[in-house]
Amino acid sequence: MPKIIFRLLLSFIVFVTVFVLIQQYLTPNSFGKYGHYRANAINDNKMRTSHYKGEENCVTCHQDVYDLKSEDVHDRVRCESCHFPKIAGSVDCEVMPPKVEGTLEFCAQCHAINLGRLKKGVPQLDFKEHKGDQNCIECHNVHAPWELKE
Amino acid sequence: MGTERIKKNRRTFFKSSAALIGGTLLYSLIKPFEGLAQTKEEDIQEDKTNFPLWGMGVDLESCIGCGKCAEACKIENNVPIEPFYFRTWVEQYTVKNNGEVKIESPNGGIGGLKQSVPDDEIFKSFMVPKLCNHCTKAPCVQACPVGATFISPDGVVLVDETYCIGCSYCIQACPYGARYMNPVTKVADKCTFCYHRISKGLQPACVEVCPTDARIFGNLKDKKSDLVKFLQNNPTQVLKPHLNTHSRVFYNGLSSEVK
Amino acid sequence: MEEHYQHLYEALTQVDGYIYPNEIDLHWGLMIVLYPYITGLVAGAFILASLERVFNIKALKPTYGLALLTALAFLFVATLPLVSHLQHPLRSYEIFMTPNPTSAMAIFGFVYLWYLMVVLLLEIWFDYRRDFVIWSKTSTGFKKIFYKLITLGINETDEKSAKLDDKLGYFITVLGIPSAFLLHGYVGFIFGSIKANPWWSTVLMPVIFLFSAMVSGIALVMLVYMVVSWVRKVKIDMLCLDTIAKYLFYILIIDFTLESLDQIHRLYEAEESFDIIKVLVGGKLNITLIYMQVIFGTIIPLSIIGFFQIYKPAEKIRIIAYFFIGIIVLIGIFFMRWNVVIGGQLFSKSLSGFTSFKAVYSGMEGYLMSAVWLILPLLILSFLLWLMPPWKKVSIHE
Repeated sequence: MPKIIFRLLLSFIVFVTVFVLIQQYLTPNSFGKYGHYRANAINDNKMRTSHYKGEENCVTCHQDVYDLKSEDVHDRVRCESCHFPKIAGSVDCEVMPPKVEGTLEFCAQCHAINLGRLKKGVPQLDFKEHKGDQNCIECHNVHAPWELKE
Repeated sequence: MGTERIKKNRRTFFKSSAALIGGTLLYSLIKPFEGLAQTKEEDIQEDKTNFPLWGMGVDLESCIGCGKCAEACKIENNVPIEPFYFRTWVEQYTVKNNGEVKIESPNGGIGGLKQSVPDDEIFKSFMVPKLCNHCTKAPCVQACPVGATFISPDGVVLVDETYCIGCSYCIQACPYGARYMNPVTKVADKCTFCYHRISKGLQPACVEVCPTDARIFGNLKDKKSDLVKFLQNNPTQVLKPHLNTHSRVFYNGLSSEVK
Repeated sequence: MEEHYQHLYEALTQVDGYIYPNEIDLHWGLMIVLYPYITGLVAGAFILASLERVFNIKALKPTYGLALLTALAFLFVATLPLVSHLQHPLRSYEIFMTPNPTSAMAIFGFVYLWYLMVVLLLEIWFDYRRDFVIWSKTSTGFKKIFYKLITLGINETDEKSAKLDDKLGYFITVLGIPSAFLLHGYVGFIFGSIKANPWWSTVLMPVIFLFSAMVSGIALVMLVYMVVSWVRKVKIDMLCLDTIAKYLFYILIIDFTLESLDQIHRLYEAEESFDIIKVLVGGKLNITLIYMQVIFGTIIPLSIIGFFQIYKPAEKIRIIAYFFIGIIVLIGIFFMRWNVVIGGQLFSKSLSGFTSFKAVYSGMEGYLMSAVWLILPLLILSFLLWLMPPWKKVSIHE
């Protein structure tokens, strides 16, 4: 075959071969094991740090509060719904307890009146009508809301 | 003279091919060709039956729009606290008497959704939590040019943060608006069903904090799980079924106004 | 980071209706508008060259070499807007290493490489090889070294080798036509295959992109030819220019028909997304679509060139008209890309609201960067024209 075609074809084959070799070298090791992705990424995703510990964890020290809560209507609300980790920078509740401010705004998150909340089993009220600017926790025990303080 | 040239060309051809093949074999000493391994196929087939298949149920008849799920998700997964990037959020739909539908999700619902339309104008109103649907036929996985986002063997759509090139094609491909570009890591990010928690037997953070148990997480393969019971006992729907994404987030009580 | 959030807070105030919270930021900006624009120019310029080489439209001979060099200059720059858009540009090699077979975007690396090396560079090489050999004997300095190297040691200048160059060049051009279609068609497919976005998801998208690419490429070569002739102070071959304008006219008609078909179909079927799209076209895209793309970029050029087919005014008038048309067509096609890319992100996938586009001047996605990517190929083209002037060629293909 003519020199020109031969040389061009040869360079093409060399290029493709070098390309494939580089591809083999640069593709991450676990790539393709389960599909078109780096299989080690599954582990990377598993290895992240958790902040929420789960209610069972809280119960190991606060069994009494848990028992109080289970008798009243907040029983289905788990501890970390309100005492979320990282309040005031706390990550370890023994070092810095995730104390909640029992403000109106905080309770209003669930209990403010909203027609989108109709019939959902959560008591809703107009806070101003109810007790003006008084904080909820002045009358209600947070863990046992129907145990009024008066 | 012609035959001389042909012979010379043939010789050159053989020499070059020999060099190529020799070089390739030598190279394989440096990095063995895994592609030739036959055994991996059988390993995967075995494993697949043991993996769970994760899914989530959302009970719209229970959701009160308190926004604790959206807040918990941001805390658990280090999502920027600004009102812009959400792995999950809650929307409030207000259908007015004149037929108009108002949808809102200020700060994703964090802090509790507040009624913004006067009582007398409201025909009906409800809350809809949204999140990544972990579609079995995910258009985002289909679109990723390099394989940085994928479906894990247990059905969770994940992102490989060290591999993503940040082209945003997956974000364009998601019909549910579940993905965003993380401004810190500069890769695509989204709800992972709290993969790091569910792999340890914990619940995702949003499920953990929901005060009305509106979110039900579980293994679709486990016939005794709460999720499967939820699916059996309720007429559930998925979002945008016409796109055929085979979403694994099932809504009970989904009204036709939901986008 | 502060600036980024500042920009997002501002965007939040501009939201109209409801958008999914994550849609506040437009992810694909000016760079992604530029990329299809530039590859379109490449594909279009190449098709014009192939009209002469493969379809034997002899009137276009003066622009053959020019079209190829224009395509090459723009192809060199084509990847750059993409790389400057990526959040992790240093990882961009991954597209070559592990391309996802289900992703339209993954084809990019290979189609680009194939088109650059096998089609464009080879075709130019086959066309210029004999000239390189001859020029290497008569030039000095940089040019001499370049010419000597580029011939790759194949120094025959006899009739037989010339015929072989011709045949091979023809073969490559024939191969190049579907390659050019692929080079730009896949870009259209990138948009057309996104079922999540109703503005993008249409079967016609690859075809529309292709024909608008041809329009822009032809207009570009027409302009380049006029400018180069003016710089060289030579007379413009009016037959050539009229023929280019004629093809511009035909392809523009096809392009306009396809785009209109897309819109008419939307209007007629009026499915779920139509309500928001109607507001989009009448509102945020009103100027860029109705005025810039349709009226300015399509209707006016069509009317003028159409008129010329019936009545041909004096040469001077035609030259000025063609120059003006070249510019407005290029602007119109730029806005077509803008309307697709930016337009598709302005409305929410909830089909219930709009976000806004923020014009940025500096930074990777700014106007300045776009200007650089558009001017750079023109500089490269000037360099190529100095290095390999088509008008100084000794050997012309049949």
